Amino acid sequence: MVTATSKESKATMGSIDAALKPRIRLRTPKEYAGWVLSILVGIGILTSVLTNPNFKWGVVAQYFTHESILRGLMLTIFLTVASMTLGTLLGLGLAIMRSSHVKPVSIAANIYITLFRGTPVLVQLIFWFNISALYPNLSIGIPFTNIGTAIDMNALMAPITAALVGLTLNEAAYMAEIIRGGFSSVGKGQIEAADSLGMSSGTRMRKVIIPQAMPSIIPATGNQVIGMFKGTSLVSVLGVAELLQSAQLIYARTYETIPLLLVACLWYLVMTLLLSYPQSKLEQKYSRATSRLPRKAKKVVLTDPEGNLR
Amino acid sequence: MSTDGTILAQKIRKSFGPKTVLKDINLQIASGEICCIIGPSGSGKSTILRCINGLETVDSGVLKVNGEDFGYYETDTAYHALPPKKLAQQRTRVGMVFQSFNLFPNMTAQENIMSGPVLVKGQDKKQSMKQAHELLASVGLARFGDYYPAQLSGGQQQRVAIARSLAMDPEIMLFDEPTSALDPEKVGEVLAVMKQLAKKGMTMVVVTHEMGFAREVADSLIFMDDGYVIERGDAREVLTNPKEARTQAFLEQVL
Repeated sequence: MVTATSKESKATMGSIDAALKPRIRLRTPKEYAGWVLSILVGIGILTSVLTNPNFKWGVVAQYFTHESILRGLMLTIFLTVASMTLGTLLGLGLAIMRSSHVKPVSIAANIYITLFRGTPVLVQLIFWFNISALYPNLSIGIPFTNIGTAIDMNALMAPITAALVGLTLNEAAYMAEIIRGGFSSVGKGQIEAADSLGMSSGTRMRKVIIPQAMPSIIPATGNQVIGMFKGTSLVSVLGVAELLQSAQLIYARTYETIPLLLVACLWYLVMTLLLSYPQSKLEQKYSRATSRLPRKAKKVVLTDPEGNLR
Repeated sequence: MSTDGTILAQKIRKSFGPKTVLKDINLQIASGEICCIIGPSGSGKSTILRCINGLETVDSGVLKVNGEDFGYYETDTAYHALPPKKLAQQRTRVGMVFQSFNLFPNMTAQENIMSGPVLVKGQDKKQSMKQAHELLASVGLARFGDYYPAQLSGGQQQRVAIARSLAMDPEIMLFDEPTSALDPEKVGEVLAVMKQLAKKGMTMVVVTHEMGFAREVADSLIFMDDGYVIERGDAREVLTNPKEARTQAFLEQVL
């Protein structure tokens, strides 16, 4: 067959069997131009960065592992972990409230989300820092009785508390929307199946809805963690000595602004890259349910005595 | 637990917004009866089934399942909705098999079957696992316990879904077009499981387009159209010798 067709088209086209010849991709002049242009721009930027003495790479290296920078980094990590954890828990609560069929409950959650998503985080942070102007004393006790104690709000809302409260409350609004989006990705049939088995709404949520919502919640949450990590730089305005503030404190003294900002940037970049690894692991874990391979059985049995299909 | 297995419906009405889908439905299904419901789409046959399992609530009328008012309790002046726990308890006695299977994709076949007994009844895990094995074997899928729904064919998924409902040991099984979403060649395996089930004396209500199944297995047949029960009687009698003109017209189309 092969010889017949090749004879028909052209008899002499080299010695290799036509059917075995590799297929070569078309490279247009545009593609080559793209290569050349990108490489030139890259080299241009790189030489400028390396040869401009004002970058002061020596100073960058010197401060990269400076004690106060590392302490700032730790605080940044703490703020990220703490406010993400608390924000996610609060967000879960808000998402459940928002999907409640009791109208006032869902409206309350809706108002919260609108308020906290509709105003800048920076403003919210400053607001919480200055909350004592609004409520000078926080009293904890039983309403309508004299039992309870009053706490000085100014003392309670130390910069770091204000930072934690502000970031958490803001994050909760975003997480609520992400989680609710995940819930609504679970089909109506799943809820009906759970109901028809007589599952309580709590069991239904824990065993049916949340596990199935996870694949759509995890990637979005990963983005939020990365966003939050960088977003913590905002709390520097409250004077919390996180990564950026630590860098600022140093260059306020030494006037080496750019090198110290580079130190902060490099740390943000390193941490962001490190965070994307566990995110991809989690995504793999939760996509297990839709993977084609059985969990225990090593390979798919194509024919079998009882099932008689596949 | 009392074994009743009866369904009684009197003057059931149900509307979705302006559309009335059930108009004056009267049914009486005895314990152990195999009843097929047929009719054109939009006739309300799926809706009545969903009402019997509480997936929809009826607007008015009397609905007694297993001899009890379903989802409500009666006082002198009204029917009051039952608290969720009581409703859930009633639902455990009525199994439902869906057209689109609705297996939980995050659980293996075996975990799906165990979900009812373990998560709802709080039954011992080991015992449930043993029961799940037996049920899987009874639907011909003994070796598929560790497979996720996505790894099973439609027919296999539906058989697992039947086993999942059976695991709750219900008095009544409802089937909502169980073979409509299947490839023609997989329909037989699901019907075979249902036939086997029919011999065990459980009450079964089957909404179906499988006239062959109705003829062979059903005791009674209900033909519904436009929210009314048009004709009801012995399955073979209605299929071969329908009395109502509307039933005749429908059967001429489908047979």
